[in-house]
Amino acid sequence: MRLRRTKLYLPGNNPNMLLRGHLFNPDGVILDLEDAVAVSEKDAARILVRDVLRKGDFGNCEVTVRINAMDTDLWRSDIETVVPCGIDGIRIPKVENPKDIAIMDEALSHIESKAKMRVGKTLIFCLLETALGIWNAYDIAKASRRVAAICPGGEDLRADLKTTRSENSEELIGPRRIVVLAAHAAGVDALDTVYADITDDAGLRRETEWVKQLGFQGKSVIHPNQIPIIHDVFTPTDREIEQAKKIVEAAVEAAARGLGAVQVDGKMVDKPVVKRAEYTLQRAGLSAGGEK
Amino acid sequence: MAINAVGRDIPDSIPGYGDVKHFKGHDRRPPEGNRFGKRNRTAFNSRTDKTLPDIKAAISASGLKSGMTISFHHHLRNGDFVVNAVLDACAEMGIRDLVIFPTALFGVHKHLTRHIQSGVIRQIMGSVNGPIGQLASEGGMSVPVILRSHGGRPRAVTSGEVVIDVAFIAAPTSDKYGNLSGAVGKSACGSLGYAHSDAEYAQCVIAITDNLVPYPAPCIHIPQFFVDFVVVVNSIGDPAGIVSGTTRVTRDPMRLLIADNAAKLIEATPYFKNGISFQTGAGGISLAVAAYVREAMRERGIKGSFGLGGITEFFVDMMKEGLFERLLDVQSFDLAAVRSIGENPNHVEISADWYANPWNAGCAVNMLDTVVLGATEVDRDFNVNVNTEADGALLHGIGGHQDTAAGAQLTIITTPLLRGRIPCAVDSVYTVTTPGEVVDAIVTEFGVAINPRRQDLIDAAKEAGNVPLVTMDELIDKAHGFTGSMSPVETEERIIGVIEYRDGTVIDVVKQLKKK
Amino acid sequence: MKTAQAGTLESMDCIVSVTESDKGRGISIVMEGASVARFGEAMVKATKDTLKSLGVRDISVSIQDNGAGDLVLKARVEAAVRRLAGGKAA
Repeated sequence: MRLRRTKLYLPGNNPNMLLRGHLFNPDGVILDLEDAVAVSEKDAARILVRDVLRKGDFGNCEVTVRINAMDTDLWRSDIETVVPCGIDGIRIPKVENPKDIAIMDEALSHIESKAKMRVGKTLIFCLLETALGIWNAYDIAKASRRVAAICPGGEDLRADLKTTRSENSEELIGPRRIVVLAAHAAGVDALDTVYADITDDAGLRRETEWVKQLGFQGKSVIHPNQIPIIHDVFTPTDREIEQAKKIVEAAVEAAARGLGAVQVDGKMVDKPVVKRAEYTLQRAGLSAGGEK
Repeated sequence: MAINAVGRDIPDSIPGYGDVKHFKGHDRRPPEGNRFGKRNRTAFNSRTDKTLPDIKAAISASGLKSGMTISFHHHLRNGDFVVNAVLDACAEMGIRDLVIFPTALFGVHKHLTRHIQSGVIRQIMGSVNGPIGQLASEGGMSVPVILRSHGGRPRAVTSGEVVIDVAFIAAPTSDKYGNLSGAVGKSACGSLGYAHSDAEYAQCVIAITDNLVPYPAPCIHIPQFFVDFVVVVNSIGDPAGIVSGTTRVTRDPMRLLIADNAAKLIEATPYFKNGISFQTGAGGISLAVAAYVREAMRERGIKGSFGLGGITEFFVDMMKEGLFERLLDVQSFDLAAVRSIGENPNHVEISADWYANPWNAGCAVNMLDTVVLGATEVDRDFNVNVNTEADGALLHGIGGHQDTAAGAQLTIITTPLLRGRIPCAVDSVYTVTTPGEVVDAIVTEFGVAINPRRQDLIDAAKEAGNVPLVTMDELIDKAHGFTGSMSPVETEERIIGVIEYRDGTVIDVVKQLKKK
Repeated sequence: MKTAQAGTLESMDCIVSVTESDKGRGISIVMEGASVARFGEAMVKATKDTLKSLGVRDISVSIQDNGAGDLVLKARVEAAVRRLAGGKAA
């Protein structure tokens, strides 16, 4: 299982962040060719991102590139430039329709085979930033085997929903729930949008706890200082890990002895509890055994 | 010529400096002789008022002549008016060829450039920076600058290696009989720690104050029996440059990352326990390290013993919270520290002699567990340069770097690996300030390199499991991968700066830059 | 004379300005910034290598540097040259 607790956006025309952003130890980096780059700088950013990708020094981060939206004339050049550099995935903004994903899948396959790379190697992360995108979440997640995660939008989505930001982002509760539901139904990750106020550490922690409870696996990040807070929320506590270990060990022992029922501390444990314990250990970076 | 213990080729004699005692190792030079004694003087009760009308009158009374040595102290930092005013007066009085012996100079002293060029100042023994550093580096002074650490300087004074003819002490408060205080007055600066030894050892002591109070002055830091004359002026300094306001912990992520790495290392060592003593600077990374360490002390219920050195509001708050028992303060950086030193008996003023002099019966740095310091460069042997910048210009003083590094059980250097394209980890530093034998760890955004001499620390860091350990070779390679190879600095043969180790040996020299 | 530029003065970046030169005038490079003292030769080489790979023989280049390494400098030279040519980048 790939941990995706944090994905740090690195502005595509900013050498300092592109070269050193991974040092903050996010689970992934997103080299951003879209909103972080002014229209007049798209060409220069694409060259810079290409060269930084070729250097390929990102520690253990999952490396993705946010390309320009598919309703622009930029996205094809974007993927033709960055995909041959061997990235883990692309992040597509404003996905509304499963057909877009099918088009992208084909375009990626073409580039991969031309570059003699394994076809299907490049994953797709879908940003659902419109009401229609949210509505089609499940179909989008299922539109290609490349899709690794779907992510709700923030400001764009609010605008499309004809609403504004409230203190607790109540306007996004529905879309977030739909994304979680669709993602897990389709077997992909649900990754949450950024928390925009980079100085409000307490607010970030509250929101992260909330989306974790909803069923998200992680959040996008716009400032390195947000990373430790989000990791702290998404990383199981020592107590949770100990309890999970006990449950998984008991389950393994029960299976070995051919018993159907699992007992921990004298109490019967249901199958979903065992499954959750395995997931807890995965999130802690510990093997739960038997998982791929 | 001799190759010294840090591999530097140093001549046996340097024009304008004299015979060189070569650096042989941080504890290789035993002290010599007795403490210096200044001439005796007397004042009968027929003279109960030491005030004189102005600086020129005091200079005349002191007997200051061309070619003599005068000293200054940096407790007013970048707000100081005194150094410039005294040299202006000397210039107007036709006094020339002076050796000035400041504990440090700041940007505000760039005014002295004219007095260097006109020959009023012949030599600077002390730090140079900004335009003065540039001037010296380009060969604009006839005699080399001599740099000493905050401990090396009082060693030179108390041993009589440097005899101060007249010490000018900026005093935020004085009475007419020369009791001086830094804690009160409109120009209050807190500790007068850097002025103590000069008050005690100079042949003549002139206090310059902008706050004359009835005898006896409150909160006396330097007593009357050292002070010969008192001059009252309108203002000794600009309060905005003397103390800073509240310094907030940085939110710069790169600095926080380096600080976090340093704090993890500290927490991993056996020194992180009840009774820990601690020194950091007031810079961004240092303060952030202190913030992380404070957090860890709270979490693990650890109470420290003392904070040392330049004291900030941050340390004052830690003492108030019970995380330190005492503060030993040689320099107070901000308003909160100034207030605290005047009010709190556990906030103790110490002199530079007490703080860091290697030639007394025991200085404060020896009791230090952990110090966090900076660098412009470090090298494969863990040698540290804080004096010269990448272009080879002599632009920074030594401060307490050599002293605290030698004294502390755990000496940590925090520095970004890259400053723009300039690498901070290199094969061999351009100038050695502090020898690698007293440096334990280099902490960067790319990881923590521990001196192989300290296998105990390497083991402790591995045991902790969360310290991103790398080797020095890896750091240097990483930096090189970003920056490529540097062209050498082009210099003349002439030596323009002499870097003394704290024991008075010469650890390195700085050569004149070639004209471009 | 046509000119174009790319880059910023953010940390670890540089601004590269390029101006067309007449055929046969060759390559001229001027540089300013803190790293020039120790990295001037490396900067000239990186610039010339990039121009060569782009097939540019006659051009005048001005670099205002704020700590760019070779990787960034080369990317900025390429972007500026492509802008000068008016073609699409990368």
